[in-house]
Amino acid sequence: MSTVRRLCAPDPCELVALLALPPTAPSLPVTRLVAVLGARLASASRTSPTRLDAFVAEFGAARFTTAFRWSARGARRPLGTGALRRLVAGTSRDLLGAAHEEVDDLCDRAQRGLARRGALGTWLAAAPAEARALCAIEAASWAWGLCHLLDLDANADRVAVGVPDAWFDVPGARTTLHGRRDATGTTAASGLLRLRDGAPGARALDGLLVDGLAAGIAGGTPTVPARVVGAWPDAGVALVVELDATAVRHAARLVVACAAVPGAGPGRRTEAVLAA
Amino acid sequence: MTPTTLAPSDDLVVALRGRASLRPSVDRGLAGGLRAWLDDGVFELVGVPSAGSIRVATRDVVGAVHAGSTEAMLRGALVAQLLCLHVAGCTPVDPFGAAAVALAASGRDDDLADLLAGLDAEDRARLAAEVAAHASILFDRLPAVPPRWSPRVGVRHQVPIAGGGVVLRGQIDLTLGEPGGSTACVCLLDVTTSALGARHEDGLTYLALLATLRCGEPPLRVAALSTADGSALVRDVDAAMLAEAVEGVLRAVGTMVTR
Repeated sequence: MSTVRRLCAPDPCELVALLALPPTAPSLPVTRLVAVLGARLASASRTSPTRLDAFVAEFGAARFTTAFRWSARGARRPLGTGALRRLVAGTSRDLLGAAHEEVDDLCDRAQRGLARRGALGTWLAAAPAEARALCAIEAASWAWGLCHLLDLDANADRVAVGVPDAWFDVPGARTTLHGRRDATGTTAASGLLRLRDGAPGARALDGLLVDGLAAGIAGGTPTVPARVVGAWPDAGVALVVELDATAVRHAARLVVACAAVPGAGPGRRTEAVLAA
Repeated sequence: MTPTTLAPSDDLVVALRGRASLRPSVDRGLAGGLRAWLDDGVFELVGVPSAGSIRVATRDVVGAVHAGSTEAMLRGALVAQLLCLHVAGCTPVDPFGAAAVALAASGRDDDLADLLAGLDAEDRARLAAEVAAHASILFDRLPAVPPRWSPRVGVRHQVPIAGGGVVLRGQIDLTLGEPGGSTACVCLLDVTTSALGARHEDGLTYLALLATLRCGEPPLRVAALSTADGSALVRDVDAAMLAEAVEGVLRAVGTMVTR
């Protein structure tokens, strides 16, 4: 395993520096990595499309036993990310207002028929006003947590928030990799940050590695991030893992191992992935 | 520091936030010392506990025997939802109906939501009347919170100490103010549906400790608001209070180990 650090009550300056620092080792050849990964996953030949992510790596494929349904808790990350995007763009003055606007916007799109069945907007549009208000304050609380963690007011030019997740369809295999990212450095190949609930579990590092791998191979000009920072604000703990060659190889092996487990499909947990 | 007990006519938010010019500077060295004290204390009590083997909740520290009756838990959960809605700027006309909708949509406390749905008409009517009375006091005592105070609702704490062997858990109903500045400005508010007593004061010191360990800086003030009678308790957070909280946690761990 590559370098791993554990930070207690991490200082925003320290976290921002970790996100902004370039990698300590030269970047990995992503093209070859993708080819090898594709070949391995294709050989696992699945009959249904498979979505792999940090949660599958940490908890296994069969963690969710009940059908997914949206809730304020589940909606706070997508809504909070949207609210942060509005705040950074300057279209909203405060996070609570931005979260309310995000909710209203999603409802509006759903009412105009622009949201699919089961989407967050469709659920919000059908939900009572109280449920929508609860979603807004939960999303704002989540986003405020991220802002405080990174002291966004002081570091707005060094970190990017409201960034989209990384999605990568592995060529030749019916597999999609999903990597979540809640903040990134603004320079190329900088670090990425994941905001998590609770306290880090026994396999928390595996999840961070999969998020890092997905971010590395997705996008137009794929570059593996220098490091992944996992922040657990509930516990006041952050884990930092450097994405060197050893770590990336380990992440790729994890993904292949997850794909080999029966039941690692999208099925019931497709939307849960978005919510986490 | 002597706790300040507020009369129902006093402004809770003014007491909680205070005057900006009088706020103390942040002692960022305190959290590390408290953590070390807790680690050493746990080692003396239980040696090296296996990961997550001891879980300390607020009720363990304040000496509550059990979590409360089902009715009390339902009432508490519904009032917590009303607090969220109030902070979000949605003050409902029908508090019980709104709180029930919010509880079902929250994605937390699904067991309580199921329990609420299964209540018969009589129990439901009684609970609705209770919630309406609590809501009236809550909305009266807690004015609208401006977004510039960064209100966060239902912030959960799950702080591992002693190498993860002991996990301190708690939930703060409302947090105001941004950490990270040179002066302390974070305020914590615990809303309870029972009348205030000594255990609430102990609970506040524990929550202040959790917030300090979590963020690395002590909050400015902690407060408890009772929606039973509108009384409130406000305490400034200082080193003595946090030391008291550490001793409370170690007492709770000792009790749990010998049980």
